[in-house]
This record gives sequence, C-alpha cells and structure tokens, in this order.
Amino acid sequence: MRFTRSRWLAAISAAVVALACVSAQAAPPRYGGTLHVKLRASSVSLDPREWIPGSLSSSASEKLASLVYDRLVTLDDRARFQPALAAEWSHDAAGRNWQFRLRSGVRFSDGGVLTPADAVASLQATLGKGFEVTPAENGVTIRAAHPVSDLLAQLASGRNFIFRVQPDGTLLGTGPFFVAESVAVAPVEANPSATKPAKVKFQANEGAWSGRPFVDFVDVTLGEPPLRQLLDLQVGKADIAEIAPDLVRKGRLEGVRIWSSLPRTLVALRFDDGLASPASDQLREALWLALDRDTMANVLLQREAQPADSLLPQWLSGYASLFESPMNLQRARELRAAFSAGAPGAAQPLRLRVDAPGDLFKLMGERVAVNARQANLLVQVALPLSASNSPVPAAGLHLFAWHYDSLSPRTELEDFLKQLREGTNLPVNTTDPEQLFVQERRLLEERRILPLVLLPEYAGVRANVHNWNASAWGDWRLADVWLDDSEDPMTTKTPMGTQKNGSPARNQGARP
Amino acid sequence: MQFCGKTGSKTISKHFRLFWILSSAAAWVMNCCFSLPAMTDDDVLVRETVQKLAERVAAIPGLHGPLRLEWHPDANWSEGEGGHWQGIVRAELEKRALSLTEDAGAPALDLFAAETPAQVVLTAKTRVADRNEVRIVSVARALLSPISPPVAPVRLERQMIYENENRILDALSVGSGAEGGLALLLYKNFEIVALRLDSKGAVRDSVSLSAANLKPSRDPHAELSVRAGLNSVQLSGKVCEFLWEAPAEVKCHGERSASAAKSEWRGDVLLASPCDGSTWKLVNSGSEPNARQVLQVVPGGALPETNAAVLSEFPGPIIGTNRERNPDSALVIARSLRSGNYEIYKITLACGN
Repeated sequence: MRFTRSRWLAAISAAVVALACVSAQAAPPRYGGTLHVKLRASSVSLDPREWIPGSLSSSASEKLASLVYDRLVTLDDRARFQPALAAEWSHDAAGRNWQFRLRSGVRFSDGGVLTPADAVASLQATLGKGFEVTPAENGVTIRAAHPVSDLLAQLASGRNFIFRVQPDGTLLGTGPFFVAESVAVAPVEANPSATKPAKVKFQANEGAWSGRPFVDFVDVTLGEPPLRQLLDLQVGKADIAEIAPDLVRKGRLEGVRIWSSLPRTLVALRFDDGLASPASDQLREALWLALDRDTMANVLLQREAQPADSLLPQWLSGYASLFESPMNLQRARELRAAFSAGAPGAAQPLRLRVDAPGDLFKLMGERVAVNARQANLLVQVALPLSASNSPVPAAGLHLFAWHYDSLSPRTELEDFLKQLREGTNLPVNTTDPEQLFVQERRLLEERRILPLVLLPEYAGVRANVHNWNASAWGDWRLADVWLDDSEDPMTTKTPMGTQKNGSPARNQGARP
Repeated sequence: MQFCGKTGSKTISKHFRLFWILSSAAAWVMNCCFSLPAMTDDDVLVRETVQKLAERVAAIPGLHGPLRLEWHPDANWSEGEGGHWQGIVRAELEKRALSLTEDAGAPALDLFAAETPAQVVLTAKTRVADRNEVRIVSVARALLSPISPPVAPVRLERQMIYENENRILDALSVGSGAEGGLALLLYKNFEIVALRLDSKGAVRDSVSLSAANLKPSRDPHAELSVRAGLNSVQLSGKVCEFLWEAPAEVKCHGERSASAAKSEWRGDVLLASPCDGSTWKLVNSGSEPNARQVLQVVPGGALPETNAAVLSEFPGPIIGTNRERNPDSALVIARSLRSGNYEIYKITLACGN
C-alpha cells in the first residue's frame, strides 16, 4: 500500500492560497518588466548576520535577502530537501558530522567564483554556537556536539544564506538578483519622527546559476502604511503588497487576490521577571485563565488569525494540538480574590507594554486589559514604543510578536528561549519531538509566556503577476514570477527614473 | 556514511511498467491493476515508526488495557490513509499486550497524526491515574513516497503512465509495440536530462544537456522531437541535438539572449476520432501553478467554450501536451497538487462516451 504524503501541501495550498481564479490562455512565460513590491517594514537589512531571531523585521529582510543570496539546500513543497548551492551532501549515522559538496561554477553577482571559504565564513556567522564549520575539498564540513538531524531544515531556512563580505563590508550573493539601488530610510523634514519609505531596487542577475529570473527588476518600497498598501495594489501602483491581517477581509470583499501563508507570527504576553516585585504565580495563572483568545482571533482579527495555545505552531511542531488554554473567568476571579492588597494587578495596576509596532497590536493589548478587568485584574496599557518619544516606564507585562524564522522546531524553540528568557540556560539539544514537547510544556506551565494568537502572512497579488507559487511557510519565490504586460497597462514612475514595464531601463547600480 | 543528497528520484514508476506490459489489454483492466497493493519501503518505514510509538506507549507505567483508540488526524489526512496507520497501530499495540476495545467507557488512547514541513509526527496521549502521558515519534516526510492520485472516471479515457518527482518538461512516444517506449525531458538538479525508457519503463539511455554548457533557465518550456533518428530539444532561444548513442556529443546552437523567450512553441495537438475520423483539438487553458486544470478537447474549428467539448480535470496544472503514436491519443504532462510529482498521462478519445 502506498500513501499520499504530500496531501499536506495540497490542503494547505487549497486553504491558504485564496487566489481568485484568473482565466488566461496558456502562454509561455515572459521575460522583462519591473515587479513592484510594497512591504510594511520600515527598514530591512540585507546582512543576515544582523538579524535578530524572531523579530518582525527579520521576516521582510529574509524575503528580500532570498532575492540576493542562496542557501546550501532548499525545502520543496513535497518536504524534500533539494540541492541548491550544495550539489550533494552526506552525514554519519549519528547525524553529527555532515559533508556538503558545493555546486561547481557558481559565481557571485560580481563574477567571483563561490568557494568553500565563502560558505564556511557565512555559516560560521549564521549557524551559531555548537557548530564547527570547516572547509573541505570542494565543500564544507559541519560538525556538531550533538546529533543535528534537523540540520537541513536549519540550512534551508532562516538566516543561513551564503554570501561573501566585500572589503567595504557590503555583501555579495549568488542569487537571482543583485541590489541595483538602495535609498536609505530618511527623516521627513516636516516631521523628524516620521520616516520616508525606503526603496530597494533589485536587478536580474543574468549569470545566476539557477537561471535568470523572469523580471528585470524588483522595485521594493518599505514602510508603507497598511491601508496605503492595499490601495496601491488596487490602483496598480503595486504588483505584490503585504496585507495587514485586519485588512484582509476588506481586501477580499473588494476583489483583491489574496495569498496567505501558514501562521508565521505568534502574538503573546511575557511577564518581566526583572522587576522588583514580579508577578506572582497566582497573577500569572489568573491572567492566563482570563484571556479570551477566541474573541481576539475571530472578532478583533476577523477570523484571519488562530487562537494560540503553544509557543510553536502545529504546522511546525506537529504536537501543538496537545496544548489547551481554556478560559475560566470563575477560577481567575477566585485566584484574584486571594491576592494581597498591594500586589501587582490588584490595587496597583500591572503595566502592559506593547512591544510590537502598529495599531493592531495596541488593540490587542487593550483587549488583554479588558479580559483582565473581567477577572478583576488591573492591567494598564502603555503606549507602543514607536508612538511615544518619552522614556517608557518599566512594565511587568509585555505584548510581543515573534516571527518564526526557522523550519526546525528545535532551532525555533532555542531562539525563543534565548531572546525571551534571558538568564535561563536551557539549550535545546534534542530533535526528538517528545523532548521538545516536554520542554515547551514546562515553559508554558510556568505561565511566564502566555500565547495569544497566531497570524499568517498575507499578500495581495495583482492579476498581472503569473506563476506566483509562494511556499506555504512564506517564501515568495519572486525569481519565478513573470508579468503579463497586457494586464498591466500602467507606466511605472519610480524615484529611480521613469520606465515602462517590459522595456526597463538598465541601471548599472552599485552592487551590494 | 549515509548519503542523502540528490535524493533518489523515482525514475520509473510501477504504473509505467504495468502500462507497457499490459498495453495490449483493455485500459480498464489496467486501471484495476494499478490499484493493487504493492509493498514498498513506505510500509517498512510506517511500521517502524508505529512500532517505536507502540513501544513507548506500552512502557508507560501503570497503563493497562483495554483502551479505546481515538484517531485525530490533521485535516489533510485521508480516511484510507488514516485507516491504514490505525490498523498498524492496533496490531503493534496488541502485540505488546495492550488490548483495544470499542467500549465507550474504556479509557481513551488518543492518537494524533500531523505533518510538518519536514516530518510526520505521531502522538499518543492517554491518562493514567491523575496524569496525562504523552508519547511522540516522527519520521521524515521525504522518506515516504507519495501515492498516485486516483484516476477519476472521465469521458476521455485517461491513464497515468509515468511519474517523476523532478519536473518533466516534455514527453514523446517512441517506437511501437514491444519496442515502444517514452522519451522525455527532465529538469533535475538544475540540469536538463533527456531519458529514453523502454516498454517496461526501464531507463535505456540518459543524456545530460549540461554537456553542452547549457545555462540553467527558469523557463519551464522545452520540447523534444525526433527527426531521422536525431533527437532535437527546442529551448527558449536555443536548439540542442543529440543521439542516444553519443551522450557526450550534445550540440546546441542558435543561442540568443536568455531573455529572448521563444514565441512559438508546439502547435495544437489534434486527435482523430476513432468513430468517424473527425478532428478534435486539445485546448490547454490556464497557467496558474496552484490550480487544478481542466483539459478541453474540442471539435476541430470550434471555440473552446463550445458545448461539445470533452473535459478532463487533471490533479494540477497542465505543463504540456504532445501527440502520441496513435492518432486518437495524446500525452499530457501535469503536475499533481496532491503529490507534487510530475505525471504523464495518455489520453485517448473513445467512441460512445
């Protein structure tokens, strides 16, 4: 008997790729044109070494970095690891020692040949402690102190790109594009606290080892407000634009072709243990019981989010469905009644600081305060960091957003602990899902981190964009899309010059 | 050392072999043959994974049967698939003296099945005394090969004759009868490879076009043809020629800019009705990679929207079509959204449908 193992993909594709059916005669793909992309992030870094695991900005950075750099391996939609810069690989029985043979003849965008030293230097900077990366004949060797059966999942995701550092500190890649122009974020003169949207223009790498991309340029505008992104898409100023979760419904109603990924962002609460009077066990438990995640996901986020009961999502760990977060106001009130009068959350409000940017997260913070009040707990929401120029006072509770970067649940859990549980030395040395489950359960039972909702990524895709085949976990694969001029009559004007789709100006801009 | 790179491609499917062996038999008979169970490495892997879980469950202190097995698969697990896993779980648990029952009052043993991007995760959860016990095992998804999707009854007779996990760019029937087979183009590990398969599906010849220093391309279009024994591959802006007997002597010419896409590809594929000799045309519409696609076969000269069209839905986007040896047949290449594999179908226009 044989089994359908990739129905996962089919189901995900059917569920998350809510693309409008576009009737079009089969036609060969077209080369040329400029793909206009609008992202919400106000700035990105194309240096993977700078990325902070879990940060929202790392999501946009990774999307753009994948235009410029390649990884050793990729994960395809059928759960198979595919050769990329590594043509083949092998490992010992324990999974500690791995050898990767580099593909021959791969060149960086400046024509330089990819060498084992480049791969070693990149991976030494990105893989982190616990790995010894050394050059080997025609490739690299990676050794770990403990079995890393998930190494390929790590190498296929996150910041594990291969690059070459130039003498001036900029990075070169072997990917399908290179950076032609980059306009840095600059303050708006009339309002120094605001920022102009930054622009990054990527140009097709004619000599890309994986094949020249179809479009000539990818023109990326950063820092677009959510509603503006949607409007740009509707009026043809953007071909692809991120859509904020709370605008997805509006976009769908207005006929925008919308794609969504698996949940990539966790919104959660974190108690600050560094305060002089940290929250008591009872307070943490009471707040956990008071949270109404279903309402947050279904009303506040209009069913475009999922209630979260775990740190890792089901699609990544496979065991998240074992966790439950039952709302129990009665029990929460009983716990509250046992507080001493001066305890945080009783007479003295517990300050909740919203660490994630944007109005949506502020609204979620306010919803937390409402839930808390229903259990007679006092929670006061502090302004989001970006909306206030004054120093933000210490808070006992933080609302934060965590972006899942890695396809390895072990790596993700480890990064989560490193970033959010400072001082807790809890390396996750196992890839055994049962051990991961035990560690995650222990963390959740402490009630120091309270998951709220899981958010997918959403993007609007115009009808003139063909072969849009993003992965379920959010890789946009822009090198494979092509534009149909006949469906995109607009002439594009950008700060880099005026050009018409299909006959782009060839800018020989500085390479990264 | 365990070699993992370039994961072995399933170059020859059992379907293909069966097809050619039984090509003289009726297509319906072949359909039945295809659905016969075939022991694969999957069975071993599934059993090993389940055995590991059963061992861990059986070792839970204080756990005694009989238990009521509750199956909680992710939504994407099919009933048949889940049933098979459950059957193995039952057998493996009972081997370890953990009896199972349908009694609703018996303690539950919840079994969860989930797929992550890289793994299949099996979780058993039960309650012993006042504590929850959880046991979890996993297996790499890539080690479990996909199933061929069931062939739905259609008005066009349709038969999947070959599948490959690598992208199939084009396919061509070669020879006839016992000497017949397929020639096809694969895009594998960023190289275009031409394969010639014999009537049993075995690879007779393989020629890599990288021998001609061909640049990789994202353009999935390539067409294979044979003229006077010389094989010709038409690519975007380039033509390569080779002989099966001389795989190292691939010659390519006519290269233009990589962006100069070929504007004209293979023309319409026409079928001749075995009933009255009338001409029917294959109309392949749509090009989105995430959609099932309906192939239309319309009477010659009619518009695609004609009511007379014969429709056949494929399990994913149609990559290409080509003529077959018989005038009432054609080859259709599609990518299955279920398995992700590229599949070659032989479609045949039949009377009386």
